[in-house]
Amino acid sequence: MLLRSLLAAVVTTIAVAAPSLAQQSGRELYERRCASCHGPDGAGREGLGPSLTGAGAAAADYQLRTGRMPLQNPQAQAVRKPSVFSEEETRLLVSFVASLGEGPPIPSVDPGAGDLSSGQSLFIANCAACHGAGGNGGAVGNNAAAPSLYASEPQTMAEAMVSGPGQMPVFGFSEQERNDIIAFISYLQTSEAPGGIDIGGTGPVPEGFVGWFFGLTGLVMVLVLLVGTGSSRAR
Amino acid sequence: MIRYVESRLGLDSWGRRALRKVFPDHWSFLIGEIALFCFIILVATGTFLTLFYRPDAAVVTYEGPYEPLRGQEVSAAFDSVMRLSFEVRAGLVMRQIHHWAALVFVASTVVHMCRVFFTGAFRRPRELNWIVGFTMLMLALGLGFTGYSLPDDLLSGTGLRIGYSALISIPFAGPYIASLAFGGEFPTENVISRLFVLHVMLLPGLTIALLGAHLAILWRQKHTQYRGPGRSESNVVGKGLWPYQALLSLGVMALTAAVLALMGGLVQINPIWLYGPFDATTVSAPSQPDWYMGWLDGATRLFPPWEPTVFGVTIPSMFLPAVLLPGLFFTVVALWPFIERRLTNDAAEHHLLDSPRDEPGRTALGVAGLLFFTVLTLAGGNDLIALTLDIQVESMTRFFRLAMFVVPPVGGALAYRICRQLRDSREHPLGRGSGVVLRRTEQGGFEEVPRS
Amino acid sequence: MKAERVVRGCFALSLAASVGLSLVYLAGGSRAWEGVLLAAALGGIAVGFILWATRLIDAPDNVEERREQKPGEGLGLISEVLEQSVTGVSRRKVLAGLASGAAASLGAALAIPSLSLGPQPGRSLFRTLWVPGIPAVDSEGGRVRPEDVPLSGIITVFPQGSEGAGDSQAVLLRVAPDLLSLPEARASWAPQGCLAYSKICTHAGCPVGLYRAQARELLCPCHQSTFDVLTGAVPVSGPAVRPLPQLPLAVDEDGYLVAQGDFSGPVGPSFWNVTQ
Repeated sequence: MLLRSLLAAVVTTIAVAAPSLAQQSGRELYERRCASCHGPDGAGREGLGPSLTGAGAAAADYQLRTGRMPLQNPQAQAVRKPSVFSEEETRLLVSFVASLGEGPPIPSVDPGAGDLSSGQSLFIANCAACHGAGGNGGAVGNNAAAPSLYASEPQTMAEAMVSGPGQMPVFGFSEQERNDIIAFISYLQTSEAPGGIDIGGTGPVPEGFVGWFFGLTGLVMVLVLLVGTGSSRAR
Repeated sequence: MIRYVESRLGLDSWGRRALRKVFPDHWSFLIGEIALFCFIILVATGTFLTLFYRPDAAVVTYEGPYEPLRGQEVSAAFDSVMRLSFEVRAGLVMRQIHHWAALVFVASTVVHMCRVFFTGAFRRPRELNWIVGFTMLMLALGLGFTGYSLPDDLLSGTGLRIGYSALISIPFAGPYIASLAFGGEFPTENVISRLFVLHVMLLPGLTIALLGAHLAILWRQKHTQYRGPGRSESNVVGKGLWPYQALLSLGVMALTAAVLALMGGLVQINPIWLYGPFDATTVSAPSQPDWYMGWLDGATRLFPPWEPTVFGVTIPSMFLPAVLLPGLFFTVVALWPFIERRLTNDAAEHHLLDSPRDEPGRTALGVAGLLFFTVLTLAGGNDLIALTLDIQVESMTRFFRLAMFVVPPVGGALAYRICRQLRDSREHPLGRGSGVVLRRTEQGGFEEVPRS
Repeated sequence: MKAERVVRGCFALSLAASVGLSLVYLAGGSRAWEGVLLAAALGGIAVGFILWATRLIDAPDNVEERREQKPGEGLGLISEVLEQSVTGVSRRKVLAGLASGAAASLGAALAIPSLSLGPQPGRSLFRTLWVPGIPAVDSEGGRVRPEDVPLSGIITVFPQGSEGAGDSQAVLLRVAPDLLSLPEARASWAPQGCLAYSKICTHAGCPVGLYRAQARELLCPCHQSTFDVLTGAVPVSGPAVRPLPQLPLAVDEDGYLVAQGDFSGPVGPSFWNVTQ
């Protein structure tokens, strides 16, 4: 209990102190917020955080912008949450991590230049095995999950493709291919399901539930309501 | 018009008897009717779909209004389903009603079969109709699987591939059977047209024939009934076909269609545009069959990595869960009337239905069987459950492996106890309206005596 | 009389909904409205008929007696008729035996043409289109150099000229070579850390399209069989038993990946003589 309130106090202090941190250099920010797991010079610490030498700007920008870093529990899979850093702080940290070694730079993205049809077939061939044909995400075993893509921004999606965060592989797409895929995902994010309510969009499992519990059960309930229960009803 | 028909066919006495045919009145007897009406709706909507569908694997370029697929090479079959969904007016609603009706058709068939099982309605003289009904369930599964595969999309193609793997796993004959069924090594071009013939001609034709037999036998043998005042083994008490039962059944048919129309109009099912055309080199996750095949998928997921080679003959790890298990399960279900007759030495005719509590042994077995089926079905969605509950997929699999062996016997034992308690309690299942009570006999069994 | 008014209302509602349905269709159609109006049209009829049956008419309980029939009673009557078929036949058994024999062999003869449905499987299940020296190409037909595959990346490759071939598809991965612990005989199969495995799961044949890059494990999304990439795609979890067959790779003089030969074993799901 005491520990928790102490922790809360520390977190509040950091949050309040945050604006002033923005003026300091990326290294100082890194040492405060990242070094405890990734080591003072970004070489990583066994069991806590991987080496960041060679991670590159793309990986850093992805992890920070989607709020995946900092991570409270190094054993858990990082998930999307609101970023704790300001735009300025993010930029400082990203350029510091990029200075640690060669790594993929932040890719440029222009979904408007993407081709939907090419994006769809690239998505199915490369992304759907984990993220699902509808981009709803999926379990990939061993406590890892491919996240739903419905909250993802074009920039961070492109960064994920070139940096392969977590269990995700690195994809050697051309810039055009990245734009195509992102155009398709944006289409999924903004278009309405042509068939009506999409009940989770994960195929036959939710469909089966709806068939049983809305379809048949609903039908029988309405029927019993209308005709009564037959021989046991008083007439 | 009645005069016209009468003067040609001379229906007088037969017609009068038919119109007054007695149908016992109980809501649970309507579930079989729901299955029948689902089938009628399937034939009606299916006929509409057939007018637009092309069972053709030839490669064409999709040029329809769904932007993300425009310009892609797809099969003519896939293209025709896309056109049906996006360009044919009322096409999508018909397709969705058809698919929802298929899910509810199999569901209502299973519930109807459970009703027949738990009330002992399959006993002599109705063993034959049980077999006919069981065969229709098999046909329904075949219809479901073939229909699911016709759009030639990525998800159903994956299902076909697993079906191929199950066939090829059969010892000795497997590679031959698989090659004959698919016309070669998967993926093949002729499979869509073969499935089409099965789905729109052979299987529905057989189903219609058996449906006729099912109803004819029912008509001939007269309906079973629950126990109640004035009801005995030698009579049927209920409402006449006309007007009550006929109007009611018309109403049930319209109600079934109404619910399915509502679902077809409002709830998306099988969005093939998301899966895209079938391509043997890609797969999407999650990958599941429609619910009635889910238990086999679940069994396949749970089965341990075990593939013994005996005298050079490998027993593939697909064979036991995907071929032998359903084979054994369905054999027991099909032969249950005969098995129970053996076990109980009860060869008498029964027209009065049991309450599930009257036969704790049968009820317990049925509950255990249903639980086994349920655990396997849920295991077929283990990745989705794991994702929803934020649990490791592998832990989910271990849990279901355990549950598969623990849940059915525990549930069965519980059902047995509950049945015994209810049966021993003085209230008869059907409450105050019941005309009989149970009395313990000197031998420790039970007998029925009319309520005094 | 109140129930009758409700029933009348139901039918009127149904009528209106049907008219609406036609109008929606003629106006260009709308999935949701078609569904809702069709449901209303049918639902009105449904509730109308059900209430008509249960509330309006007073149908009395009828009693019908079951036919009492002793087992075997009908048999005598029928067999008398059936017997007519053998009047004038001296050796009934021979005749019946020959007739059924003729029918059975006709049935068998007619069933034989079903063998036309597919080719004999033969050895085709043991072979793929990979032959020594054939270049590995991506789905577009482009040749692949080791450095085209990103570290921690995955692409699907085919033998040149057979892009999209179902049985020959392979996943091509690249890992840091010092991580590899392949069986000794396969030491030369992974130039510059490039590994190729059959993409068809050895369990149920789904494409093993899911790569957990950090764990270096391939996972099949159908039944969650998991294969360890570094040790030769040995199954580590799930129902698969056989490792994914490995494709021996080499780099030709132009720096492109080629196959040294066919996969290390039969690809895809097991069958009874898979080990022979």
